[in-house]
Amino acid sequence: MASQQASGRTDAVIVGAGAAGNLFAAVLAEAGKSVLVLDPGPDWTASDLYSSSIWSRRLRWGGPAIESTGAHAFGAGFNTGWGTGGAALHHYGTWPRLMPSDFTMKSDFGKGLDWPIGYDDLRPYYDRVQDDVGVSGDAAAEIWRPAGAPYPLPPLVQFAQARLLAKGFHALGMKTAPSPMAILSQDYKGRPACLYDGWCDAGCPIGALANPLVTYHPRAIAAGARFVHGAHVTRLLPGKTARLASGVEYVDSTGTTRTALADMVILAASTISNPAILLNSTGGDWHGGAGNSSGLVGRYFMTHSIASVYGFFDDEETENYLGVTGAQATNMDHYGKQSLGGGAFGSLQWQLAPTMKPNDLLGVAMARADMFGADLTAFMARAVHHLAVMFGFGEGLPVLENRVELADRSGPGGTRTPRVVHSFAPESVKVSEMAAQLGLKIITAGGAAAPWSGPMATAHMMGGTIMGTDPRTSVTDSFGYSHDIGNLVIAGPGLFPTAGAMNPNFTNHAVTLRSAEHALARWLS
Amino acid sequence: MPTHTSFDAHGPDRRALLKSAALGLFAYTVAGIETLLSPAQARAQGARFTVLSDADAALLEAFGEALVPGARAAGIAHFVDANLARPHAASLLTVRYLDVLPPHDAFYRAGLAALDAASQALRGAAFAQLSPAAAKPLIAAMLPGTISPWHGPPPALFYLAVRSDAADLVYGTPAAYARMKVPYMAHIEPPADW
Repeated sequence: MASQQASGRTDAVIVGAGAAGNLFAAVLAEAGKSVLVLDPGPDWTASDLYSSSIWSRRLRWGGPAIESTGAHAFGAGFNTGWGTGGAALHHYGTWPRLMPSDFTMKSDFGKGLDWPIGYDDLRPYYDRVQDDVGVSGDAAAEIWRPAGAPYPLPPLVQFAQARLLAKGFHALGMKTAPSPMAILSQDYKGRPACLYDGWCDAGCPIGALANPLVTYHPRAIAAGARFVHGAHVTRLLPGKTARLASGVEYVDSTGTTRTALADMVILAASTISNPAILLNSTGGDWHGGAGNSSGLVGRYFMTHSIASVYGFFDDEETENYLGVTGAQATNMDHYGKQSLGGGAFGSLQWQLAPTMKPNDLLGVAMARADMFGADLTAFMARAVHHLAVMFGFGEGLPVLENRVELADRSGPGGTRTPRVVHSFAPESVKVSEMAAQLGLKIITAGGAAAPWSGPMATAHMMGGTIMGTDPRTSVTDSFGYSHDIGNLVIAGPGLFPTAGAMNPNFTNHAVTLRSAEHALARWLS
Repeated sequence: MPTHTSFDAHGPDRRALLKSAALGLFAYTVAGIETLLSPAQARAQGARFTVLSDADAALLEAFGEALVPGARAAGIAHFVDANLARPHAASLLTVRYLDVLPPHDAFYRAGLAALDAASQALRGAAFAQLSPAAAKPLIAAMLPGTISPWHGPPPALFYLAVRSDAADLVYGTPAAYARMKVPYMAHIEPPADW
């Protein structure tokens, strides 16, 4: 296919303007490298972030269709991003660190995988990132927290819903702590403190939440990184040998196929798009896809299970519309891989008192999706002022058969679109089932009326391009460097060999900062 | 080999989209003149549908009203119709979250046809003619997927999509918040109040 070359050759081309792409761009551009960032979505700015659950749907993936299937199909439509900031633009800013045990699961238990690095390797990067972007919390109150610098900001304000839910934990002798949040409790580095209006899911236009528009994107721009939107990267282009990539091919907003040549290619598209691009890259000697000598590109796709537990506090105004979309408080008493017993294996993290708007997927009306008509009207009248909710995030084990693969639908530039196939391991299903049972005990102990648990759902996406030490059993090294292609770096939570039960974006930032600085040092040397 | 085409290389121009959504209103045709209206206004003024047939729209109104009382007057059929007429990336419909493969107009059409056929088979009448009491067991069988016969998209998905559309209009707007005495507290006011 004839294509046009984008103007000029750059030191680095970065695919994707999400959290990892922007961080990588900032680090490289600030070191004087010429950087081109290609992203398929719009060039969002803060003024686009309307406070509306309805309008926030524009922030989700709007490109070629992603199929999702399997016994526990992943919620791709809700979890993906579209345009500047990617999924991090609408993420909730819940930023716990992974635990040391998450890095050594196979060694410790003979299940899942090991990371090629440990918590101590990431610790300094967690510390630096939290200082960069501003994380609010109470490190001392998080009795489960691994070693690390205290948070730079005090915890966020808590509202009635959090106080009421915490009663149940305390009644059962369990501890709660303010959730660690990448949301400013005080003005910080020129950004204003949170107003607790609970619109995080719609994007935070004031910049209190650390979405890329206010963290690394402005730094990348200021350092000269160039962003091109409406650019669907279709494939990597082979270099002089199969060990090198010469750049990428993309289809621009006019439908013109173009190439962007660069010394270094950084794939930071998303946990789904990264393997899809690699698998579509069959040029030269890359017959099975670029970087895929292991046959593991797309494999070990992971997500978290969510057990949702609800109850009414009829004598109190729960203020469930105030706060933040993520969580006000947390408990990790059952983070130990075997702590739930009963055939469950994997970690559990509780998140208490997320904001509930009346509508939308995580809103009040959906809390009882089975209700309709007059029953729903009555439910809503009670629930918008008296409902409380907490979510148990459960670990999904890495399973070889869970994967991103190519479907039989055509995408831009003659590519094939991705399909996500996902089914939780039985031990992971058990984690969510036991979390629901435990949650009902907790919320009942706290005095909630008519408690119930919702159906298991999924959140977050990890794996598919896992890191490791052995090129036969992993796609990249610990810095995201492809084992096969010397100038290809993969970035994002797709690198994680295990998922833990923690929201991935803090670890995504820590891993990406480590990768970017390593890439720079390697380059300069 | 690829067998379906799902990508529009000449995707939506963002500036044009924002212009069409100026003030958050959708373009409807009333008496042959294109004008910007909210879905409720469009319904009140009898605006023509762009994607849905009049029969489909009437059925969607009946179903939406049965799921979330108030959805009919709020203009659910016009809301869905206007979003189906927009490029996928600009759609504001919850169906985007439900991993239903586009095109979504086919999803709505097929779901409505399946609903009416099920109503005819199980209740001997079109859905829009059913009393609330007669419609209730039929609707209640959709989320668990036990409704039979059903020849269309998964009934649970169709139920959730339309219920969410209705809930958006009845519970998700600044006016709805005010009615429920829930503070809206916008950082940036959404461009429309449906």
